[in-house]
This record gives sequence, structure tokens and C-alpha cells, in this order.
Amino acid sequence: MKKASPGKKKIDLFPYLMCLPAVLLFTMFVILPFIEGLRVSFYRWDGFSAMKWLGLRNYVNVMGDDVFWQAMRNTFVYAVLVTVCKNIIALALAHILVKKFPLRTFFRTGIYMPVILSYVVIGVLWSWIYNPTFGLLNGMLRALGLESWIKGWLSDPRIALFSVVAVDVWKWIGYHMVLYMAGLQAISADLYEAADLDGANGAQKFFRITVPQLNSTIVVNVLMSVTGAFASNYDIVNVMTGGGPMHATEVSLTYIMTTAMRYSNMGKANAMSMLLFVFVFIFGFLQLRIMVRDDIYD
Amino acid sequence: MIGWKRTVPRILWFLVLLLFFVLTVYPVIWMFFGSVKGPSEFYTNSWGLPEAPRWSNYAEAWVTAGLGRKFLNSVIVTAGSLLLLIPINSCAAYAIGRLKFKGRGLIYSFLLLGIMIPSGVLGIPTFTVALRLGLNNTYIGLILVYVAQAIAMGVFIMRSFFISLPRELEEAAMMDGCTRFGSFVHVILPLAKPGVMTQIIFNGLTIWNEYFMANIMLTNANKLTLPLSIANFVGQHTTNYPMLFAALSISTLPAIITYMIAQKGFIEGISAGAVKG
Repeated sequence: MKKASPGKKKIDLFPYLMCLPAVLLFTMFVILPFIEGLRVSFYRWDGFSAMKWLGLRNYVNVMGDDVFWQAMRNTFVYAVLVTVCKNIIALALAHILVKKFPLRTFFRTGIYMPVILSYVVIGVLWSWIYNPTFGLLNGMLRALGLESWIKGWLSDPRIALFSVVAVDVWKWIGYHMVLYMAGLQAISADLYEAADLDGANGAQKFFRITVPQLNSTIVVNVLMSVTGAFASNYDIVNVMTGGGPMHATEVSLTYIMTTAMRYSNMGKANAMSMLLFVFVFIFGFLQLRIMVRDDIYD
Repeated sequence: MIGWKRTVPRILWFLVLLLFFVLTVYPVIWMFFGSVKGPSEFYTNSWGLPEAPRWSNYAEAWVTAGLGRKFLNSVIVTAGSLLLLIPINSCAAYAIGRLKFKGRGLIYSFLLLGIMIPSGVLGIPTFTVALRLGLNNTYIGLILVYVAQAIAMGVFIMRSFFISLPRELEEAAMMDGCTRFGSFVHVILPLAKPGVMTQIIFNGLTIWNEYFMANIMLTNANKLTLPLSIANFVGQHTTNYPMLFAALSISTLPAIITYMIAQKGFIEGISAGAVKG
């Protein structure tokens, strides 16, 4: 490109004008809230009256809050379970579906369907499926003669968290399955043929070829499951249990919302948001690194 | 010709798939069945086909929950967000992807920060800012927040489309008398149509289904979007399940119908952000 001669110093505004709306909006509603959230986390504030400087007291308060720690522990359990289940089931299904299979598109379309439903709809639907007296699940167990398996799926504090996790897994299996299918299709068939010639069995082929070749797909899927569990499980938990019974399904986001909306403690809610950011930051950073890794930038 | 060793596992895999298929699809179909059952039939015949479809449940839900207004609110917010975010993301991505200027890398990195800050973390802080700006309980407030949160991924996706196009395109267009902006709008943007579609599908669906931010920013009953009103509906009408299920179906149908029509584009659009990896 030889447009402007090096001597000419006139700044071309066109590219900056093109970027301006995006930069402006992004600053206003992503960066500014973040900074404002950090600021408010050092104050006592109910959202209306004057703010009162507290220094680090909100953070100290959070650290000594048993419910916060329970919410954090639940969030971790949630994240680990969701990540493991989603990825193992999705990879297994992708492995079957990626081969020439009767009704392949039919299966894919169906299994992907919950991805397009909102958490609210899914939450209401599954609350009803889990309903102890009229719900489908207990009805089915009763019909199968498994009376002893009948449970209060969302009302029993020992299992409520797992019941919610199962629904989250149910929603996203299709999504991860499609990503794994794309990853599997990209693996060269030559590798498997060579392994066949060497007499490798199915398990060997899976762990020696499939897994290493899928490496970046696996990393992306795992990162997405983890960040999802930390930063976007408010909807489903709130709709299904509201964090109960007895905080058994309380996750960080539901507790942040309760603190802000019900207790009007904006300072503490913002402090918890910042702590949550510290937890998800590392996963988001890794995801970003992978996304821009092979970007050619001149 | 095919021996037992191949047939048996295939049947087994087929059954596994079938099991997962039924597990995912049956609850959704069951939701539609439930939406046309009578109040008592809902309990007595909870599994099967409705005996005589009661379409009046839909009319009842539409009127009782004021779904018409909520539906309109969702359309306004979703369409408004898309109308803003497509041009905003496309312009920025075009400049970053195809123009040379000082600070280009810096602006790109700045916008990509958005990928590291998920909306869950931003919820309460955004409420705080919107409160100061008087933007809570307004369509435009929610729209601006949705657009801002879609910028990082949108610019990322559009840029990858723009950089894949040959360099000579703008020069040719400008020789034909196009302005720089004109060559972007008339020549480059149409070639990045798949990127625009991806954004429409991905953001359209995300915003249509969005609950967390809407729940934080909207309290005025006249402004509620569908997911919000469905969640409220549960508390108020827990006794009339068929009507509740009709409401669920109403809020889901636009997405399901679009999905059925454009299934392939849908799956690609929603997965686009991740496939890059």
C-alpha cells in the first residue's frame, strides 16, 4: 500500500470514526460498570442514600460470611460436575454420531434442541418434572416399581444441587457435542488407518490419536463449561430453587443478587462480584488466548 | 455381509443415541402436550397425548399474563439490539481488520477484554451505572447494555470474515467512484454476510432468552420481557399448569420455529464463537 507519503502528517480520522461507537458503548457499559463496581465495593451503599466509605470492610465481611463460602463451595461443585459430565457425554455422543450413521441429522437436531430454549423455560419445565407428587420423574419411578428411588429432587438439601446440575448438563450436551463433532471431523483419517495397520485397538486409538488431536477442542469446551458454571448459572438456579433449600443450591450469583436486591447491600454485592471476577478471570483469559492464538496480525 | 462383531456395537450405539434423543426431546414435546390439556387431565394423563386439544389455554395465557405486551417488549428489545449491534460491530471490525492506523492493535485488544468479563460479573455493577444514568426500566438502557456486551465477540467474528477477503476489493470499488464508506457498505459488507447472519442468530437468541440482566434492570410491569414474565407467572399461577405451559410454549415457539427452518445455520451460528479455537 502506498497511499500517504511518509512526509504527510495529516491524521486520517476515518478508521477512528468507524471504531468510535463500539469503543464508546463498550467503555460505557462494560468497562465503566466494572470500575464503578470496584469503587462501590469500598462503600456502604443501599442504592439510594449517600455512600459511606468503608475501606476493605465489605471484603472482610464477605470473607467471614458462611453463606458466601457455602455459595462458593456449591459453585465449585457445580462447575466441576457440569464440566466433567457435559464433556464426557458430549464427546461420547459425538464419537458415535461422527461416523456414517442412520438418522444422523435427526439425532443431532433433537439432541441440540435444548440449547435454543431459555433457562427460564427449562427451569420451569424441569421443576415440574422433578415435582415430588405429580412430576414425570417420580411418576416414572413409580411405574417401574422403584418406589424407594422416589425423592424430593429439589426439596431435599442433599440432592437439590445435583438435580439442578443435571438440568444444566441436559441443556448443553448438544452444544458441546456439535463442537466435538467438528473437532473429530478435522482429524485426518490417515492417522487411524496407520494405527489399524499397526494393529491398535479402539481404546488405544482413542487415547493415542483422538484425544491428542482434539486437544484444543477439549480445552475450549472445558473452559466454556467452567466459565458458564461460574458466571451464567443464575437463571436456572433462581428459577428452580432460588438458592434453597437452606442454601443447598446457593451459588455465587444467586447470593450476589440476594445481597443486592433483597438486602440492598450494594457495597457487599459489588465486593462479591469483584471476587467472582478474580475467579473467572483466569479462565476467560485462557479462552481469549486460544481464540486469538492463530490470528494472523500484521 | 456385515458380521456380528460390527452389527452388535452398532445397534448398541443406536440405542444409546435413541435414549439421549428421547431424554432431550420428550420433555420439550411434553411441554407442548401439557399446554393443550385440561386442568384435571394435566394430572390424570400427565405422560401422554392430550385427549382433546384445548387451544383456549393459549388465548387464556395470552390474556391473563398479558403476554401480548410482554411479547412486544421482547421483540422491541431484541430487534433494537440487533439493529444497533450489527452496524456498530461491523464498522469497528472493518476498521480493525482492513484499515491501517495508529492504535489499531490497542483498540482491538481493548474491545477483546469483553470476552474476559462475563455478564454475570457485570450484573450488579451495571445496575449501579444504569441507576446513575436513569437507564433502569427503559428499553434503551437494556438495549445499550446488550449491545455493549455483544461487542467483543461480534467484532472478533466480523473481523475474521473481513480479513479473509482479498485486499484489492476496496481499490476496485473506489476506482468505480465509491467513497471509502461506500465501498465498505456496498462491496465488503455483503461479502461478509455469513458473519452478519452468525451475529443475528447468536445475539438474537441470546437476547430473546436473556433473563439475568433484564431481571436486574426491569421492574416496571409494562416493560418486562417474556423470560421475566414467565418467571413471575410461575409464582402467581402455580395452580393452573396447562396455562403456564401454554405461556412457556408461546415464549419458546419463535426460537423453535426458526430453528426448525434454519437448523444448519442455527447450529453453526451459535457455535461460531467457539469453533475458532
